[in-house]
Amino acid sequence: MNAPARGEYRTVVVGSGIVGLFTAYYLARAGAGPILVVDRGFLSGGASGRNGGGVRQQWETPSTIRLAREAVAEYRRFGRTFGTNIWFRQSGYLFLATTEAEKLRLSEVHGAVAREGLPSRLLTPSEVGREVPALSLEGIVGGSFLGSDGTLYPFPAIWGVYEAAQALGVEVRLGVEARGIRKEGDRVAGIVTSSGTIATTAVVNAAGGWSKEFSARCGLEAPNRPTRHEILATEPLKPFLDPMVVRLSDGLYFSQTMRGEIVGGLTVPHAPGTVGGMTSSPAFLIAMARALVGLVPRLRPLRVLRAWSGFYDDTPDGLPIIGEDPRLPGFYQANGFGGHGFMLAPATSKRVAASVLGSASDLDPAEFSPGRFLDPNRPSRPERLQLG
Amino acid sequence: VDLPPGVSFAAALSEGAVPILQRSVRYHRPRAPFCGTGACTNCLVRVNGVPNIRGCRYEPVPGDRIDSENAWPSPGHDLLGALDTVFWNGIDSVRGFRRPAFARPLYQWVVRRLAAFGSLPERTGPPPRIPSERIDRDIVVVGGGASGRAAAEQLAAAGAHPLLLDRSPRGGAMEGVEVRLRTTVAILPPPRPGGNRPFDLIAFGDGGEALRIAARRVILATGGYDAGLWFANGDRPGVLTAEGALAFEQPGRKPPFRAGILFGGGPRAAALLARWEDRFDAVVAPGAISPELARKGSELGLPLYPRSLLTRAIGRRRVRAVQIRGRGGGAERRLDTDAVVLAHRRLPNAQLLFQVGARMHWSAHPGAYFPDRSEGATSVPGLLAVGSVAGAPFSSPPTDQLTAVVDRALSDRSWPTEFSGGVPEPPSEFEGYYRELIGRSLPGGGRWTACACEDVGVSEILEAHERGYRGIEVIKRYTGVGTGLCQGRYCIPEALLLLAIQEGRPPSEVGYITQRPPVLPVPLESIAALPDPGEAA
Repeated sequence: MNAPARGEYRTVVVGSGIVGLFTAYYLARAGAGPILVVDRGFLSGGASGRNGGGVRQQWETPSTIRLAREAVAEYRRFGRTFGTNIWFRQSGYLFLATTEAEKLRLSEVHGAVAREGLPSRLLTPSEVGREVPALSLEGIVGGSFLGSDGTLYPFPAIWGVYEAAQALGVEVRLGVEARGIRKEGDRVAGIVTSSGTIATTAVVNAAGGWSKEFSARCGLEAPNRPTRHEILATEPLKPFLDPMVVRLSDGLYFSQTMRGEIVGGLTVPHAPGTVGGMTSSPAFLIAMARALVGLVPRLRPLRVLRAWSGFYDDTPDGLPIIGEDPRLPGFYQANGFGGHGFMLAPATSKRVAASVLGSASDLDPAEFSPGRFLDPNRPSRPERLQLG
Repeated sequence: VDLPPGVSFAAALSEGAVPILQRSVRYHRPRAPFCGTGACTNCLVRVNGVPNIRGCRYEPVPGDRIDSENAWPSPGHDLLGALDTVFWNGIDSVRGFRRPAFARPLYQWVVRRLAAFGSLPERTGPPPRIPSERIDRDIVVVGGGASGRAAAEQLAAAGAHPLLLDRSPRGGAMEGVEVRLRTTVAILPPPRPGGNRPFDLIAFGDGGEALRIAARRVILATGGYDAGLWFANGDRPGVLTAEGALAFEQPGRKPPFRAGILFGGGPRAAALLARWEDRFDAVVAPGAISPELARKGSELGLPLYPRSLLTRAIGRRRVRAVQIRGRGGGAERRLDTDAVVLAHRRLPNAQLLFQVGARMHWSAHPGAYFPDRSEGATSVPGLLAVGSVAGAPFSSPPTDQLTAVVDRALSDRSWPTEFSGGVPEPPSEFEGYYRELIGRSLPGGGRWTACACEDVGVSEILEAHERGYRGIEVIKRYTGVGTGLCQGRYCIPEALLLLAIQEGRPPSEVGYITQRPPVLPVPLESIAALPDPGEAA
């Protein structure tokens, strides 16, 4: 039932998360079919179905701010283009600083964001209190806020792109595992899957937390580092919290969903790798509960409904890896999003598709290309605002 | 008002009928206690400024302030109840409310305010100090039903000193057994390899007390629960599980109905009839009616309707009658009643087994997942399961399973943790039941609520299937079924059967949703009070 309909495709995308689906959609829209998407799991089973739904434009690097800004515009018109309601609510991202160093960092972010023409604001502690009256201001020395950032509901976004891609002729095969590459000469000639070998000249690695593993199966050493991040949801409450709140010191982030649940996480160290699976740990629950009741004391008696986890696909410089891998012509990387694939996918997947089609890219190869890690002496302009 | 002491809020308010305490989250349908175990959302009330307290378990004390949630002016008469009529065909949150674009913020504003039950906690006075404790025990038995108590007793007789934990407030002391009541084990991570006490059980008392237990052996005796059932208006006040009905049996209180319909044909239904023989007017069963139940029913002069589909509840605010239909194209019949008590199917309380990562096998009867059933071993080293949760309800003399579990718990030896998969089984009785009841499209006659916590309709599951979404994990994310406060206890087992029918494959291939910790919702302040591992008291 899962066997692909044809023996040959122009492009095969590995991974049916938001990055892979958007890539397939843009390729199909450009008329570059036939296209096949394979995923060994179920739709929304990876990080695309496990994230907190935050979409922000406050970043350190101008290129990321621009991509995020484009993604926000795409998500604003998502309902019209894709037919599902992602409940994209632009009620801002509030960053909190608890030290002078963090405050300085926020003002640098604010500078970068403002230079791109976005009306971000630096806040005093009392202004922070006005944004979210339930916050305890103890220890808070400042904040930054951008009202056009927001949150969305990830699932209908997946359904929307999944259905739109299929309507354009994209074939999506779930439960099919990509096992490696068949080469002719030094370039991609096919993909080996659990449903047999399929001829293709372009393979897109959009496997998220498993992209390093898939690169390795194709003989490529990749710098990606999958790390497990945990998240929890509480019982729903009537609305009291509008923006997404992010604290720099410990990576605590939380927002209130349309259903009223508080959904959020915080960084607790886990050994890298996907071996441990997507489980949750008592250490996270305790750290998260302590952080949350400290910052919002009124939430103390609120109940935790469930906790889960997913994989960030981190890279050494905090920037995603986008484009053809110079070591293997026909192999395209679309990964390394460091937990922010959902935020950026509408914009970055356009570039992935362009790269597959051989069109010119507006991305600086020094920042995004897979080849950037091959040169040990390259100048690096990292993105370190890997939170929320 | 004066409420009798030591009686739950829900029971105190029942005057021969279930009290309507709540309105549902989307359509503001009237809701009354259903499950009796503190799992469902039907009895949530605000107690002293704290939202979402289970009225079926909370025992009020003088001076308490108890408010209703999500209803105005009262749960019995709620103006927003009109939403049920306005959106008679359902609210489409996946595709609706998109246009016109300029109205989106307004839609969002309205929908956010309609969502959820309670509002931000507003506790007066200083925050309570949450007691917390970290203890080490050799053997922990989780669950104080018949099997759990028998296991603990045998362990004590053999010289061990087991700790027995149970959620319920009742259960007497036992010689040589440390018993802690009103304590729920909510989190059971996979054991850490190595060390004397690889298990890290996290439990919470009814008052929020936090308890962390390191243990060498864990015996899960979490028992079973009475399943829900899908039919038109199946969420009406007056429809309740057997446990939900039994929860009203408290000092000085009577069952909350006078002329109920008992739904079920087996031992569970027979036990209920024996207990409340003057409270039922008819017995309706999805399949055969057991000789024992039939005898008792005839003795009482009750009409018996074996092999019947329960198609619809009738009544605007509470159940006044039900409609049933004989299976295989039998006649429709209306039975007047003031309650429907579901005693047709016992399912295992297997959440902790899933959480800890035990390998589970599908069993068509009763349609649920179990660990290895014969000897109570599980695929997790050091973890045992006994009684109903392991497919072997308590019996006297003790089952072989109980004996094997006690022996293994006492021993220091390890045991095999690899089991062969279950043998292929015929489709379960309830798959056939739903095939006949629902088939490919939903009969009319009222709203078919699949998930009462989130007000998700059965039609939404059918629509998701129609659009090509497959497997319970995806259907859950598409519709929201199973994402409510009860963690899917009352909808996922039914959804599995319906999807098995729709997808044309066995329920075991439709899958199961990941059981995420905690088993039941736990206050943030209790989790925050948990000691770190290694801080032994």
